[in-house]
Amino acid sequence: MAVFSLIIINKAGGLVYQREFQPGLRKLSTNDYLVLAGTFHGVHAITRSITPKLPLAPAAALATTPTTATTPSPNNVVSPSATSSTPTSSTASYSYPNPGVPATGLECLETDKFRLTCFQTLTGTKFLLFTDPLMANIEVVMKKIYELYADFVMKNPFYQLEMPVRCEAFDRNLQGWLRGRT
Amino acid sequence: MSYYFTILSPTDVPLFNIAFGTSKSGGDGIARFRFPDTAQYMNQFIIHSSLDIVEEAQWMNGNMYLKHIDTYPPASAYISAFLTPSGARFLLLHQPPQLASNSGQGAGGSGSMGGSMSGSLLLGSAGGSSRASASSIANNPTSPQTEEAVRQFMTEVYENYVKTVMSPFYRQGMEIKSPVFRGRVTAAGRKWL
Amino acid sequence: MAQPARHAAMLSISNSGPNLPVAAAAADRQQPAQHIHTQSQSSQGLRVPSNRKTIYDRHLNRSRNAELSRASFAFLFAEMVTYAQRRVTGIQDLERRLNEQGYPLGLRLLDLLFYRTMSSSTSSALSSSSSTSSSPPNRPLRILPLLHLIHGPLWRLLFNRPADALEHSVSPETPNEYMITDNDPLVNTYISVPKEMSMLNCAAFVAGIIEGVCDGCGFEAKVTAHNQPTEMWPGRTIFLLRFGESVMEREKVLERAGVK
Repeated sequence: MAVFSLIIINKAGGLVYQREFQPGLRKLSTNDYLVLAGTFHGVHAITRSITPKLPLAPAAALATTPTTATTPSPNNVVSPSATSSTPTSSTASYSYPNPGVPATGLECLETDKFRLTCFQTLTGTKFLLFTDPLMANIEVVMKKIYELYADFVMKNPFYQLEMPVRCEAFDRNLQGWLRGRT
Repeated sequence: MSYYFTILSPTDVPLFNIAFGTSKSGGDGIARFRFPDTAQYMNQFIIHSSLDIVEEAQWMNGNMYLKHIDTYPPASAYISAFLTPSGARFLLLHQPPQLASNSGQGAGGSGSMGGSMSGSLLLGSAGGSSRASASSIANNPTSPQTEEAVRQFMTEVYENYVKTVMSPFYRQGMEIKSPVFRGRVTAAGRKWL
Repeated sequence: MAQPARHAAMLSISNSGPNLPVAAAAADRQQPAQHIHTQSQSSQGLRVPSNRKTIYDRHLNRSRNAELSRASFAFLFAEMVTYAQRRVTGIQDLERRLNEQGYPLGLRLLDLLFYRTMSSSTSSALSSSSSTSSSPPNRPLRILPLLHLIHGPLWRLLFNRPADALEHSVSPETPNEYMITDNDPLVNTYISVPKEMSMLNCAAFVAGIIEGVCDGCGFEAKVTAHNQPTEMWPGRTIFLLRFGESVMEREKVLERAGVK
């Protein structure tokens, strides 16, 4: 199961890390990678804002009758403050397609040659992983990459935040772990 | 028995001083040196003069507790030494009380203590316990019991010294001012000496 | 002559002597001064925590088997490196600063290490009721015991494992040089040194600890950390100990005297 390459984009949309693990994708120039990172950052933001908000009809009705506010369906995450006061309830009376999880934006992009998985950290850094479309358990790979990033990049005193990642120990461990998996 | 205890840094700076008397066999824990007028500086003088011997013994014997290392007969002062691995020296000067039997000098010594009452009290207690404790810590500064008692004392002080040293606000060579430390040393003295 | 007066006052207090008017008067005169003394002490003073526990109330073996989060140490150490990096003139300056941060730690660890080995030996002695048979550990007098102390107990105290190698310089010109090897220093686990600083080894901090231990024991030494990567161990570090002239001279004297 092939992991083709990894791209890390900082929260401003700049490319901070790019590395190829297995051949299979067409090579891009450095400049193209920078464009790719910037473009993806923009597309990601757009996908987040176009995520449909599904109106919650019963919740809107409940907002006017606070006595029954405790009986919404468990899937609806409407904050208590939203149900108790009418002005805010109008903004919170919807749910995302994935209930309970706020809209994050593009998570997966699939073609017949590769699959692009995006993972965004709490601080806005994005990890893009290009894998074989048939590969399973991408979350496991992604989680491990995040862990290695947290260890060998964030704990490195010579790494400056939001700047390109040049940490030899990160490269070494990433390479070693991926090799050990295949 | 009267004691004078000093901690010296590796560069011979005094870090801590305390004088106390025995609390064993009816002692009240107050130091009564033979020559109280000069004890203040004579004790320091005697202790510092034993440093040469400490430094010689230091490299011949790897023990932390060097036992009794020096005697200063004119003041009948006995010095015991304990070395911490990081180079601090614990030096204890002990001076056994003068017994009534070695008369003339004893009277003179107690007379200079500034109070006839206290002098006679001291002599009385020493005389009373002399038979029972001929080999006890109080009267025989070089006996194995004394060595052992001093070792226990030193070990307990060392524990508290390590605690001081481990404090992030303490740097090597700084005077130890903590009243808690002083209290602990006093307690150790009361317990073992 | 203030000293004899104070002495008399102390005696009179201890005897609570009302029938010594002179001494009592002296004590009265001393009283205000003593009050001021105690007041100033308490005001400048000691702030005891609300639970009334000072560092002297805590047992030194309390954290003996406790474990420290590796991540929090890594973050702390990263900040220490960043801190040391401010306004440095070069790599050597940075290594010197890291060394200086480690040095006082070495002095402290030395005392703690001996205390712990001592207390464990005496406590076992107490249970077997023979306190004289098990002697406390000896202070190192010669270079070799010192190096074994660093290689074994010190490394175990710091990193929970002994160091990987201990060597003496093979060159006859430098008999005062010894090397301790660590294949993967804990402090460097998460550190990638940028290419332009490739000479730097942040284990200079550990070198400072070693230097503190050597100096504390009375062995004047300069300790430096050097990268020596191998295929297997990319982070392999050699700590080079250079003992001073005085140490080497004493070593010769002690050898002749048969001290081990």
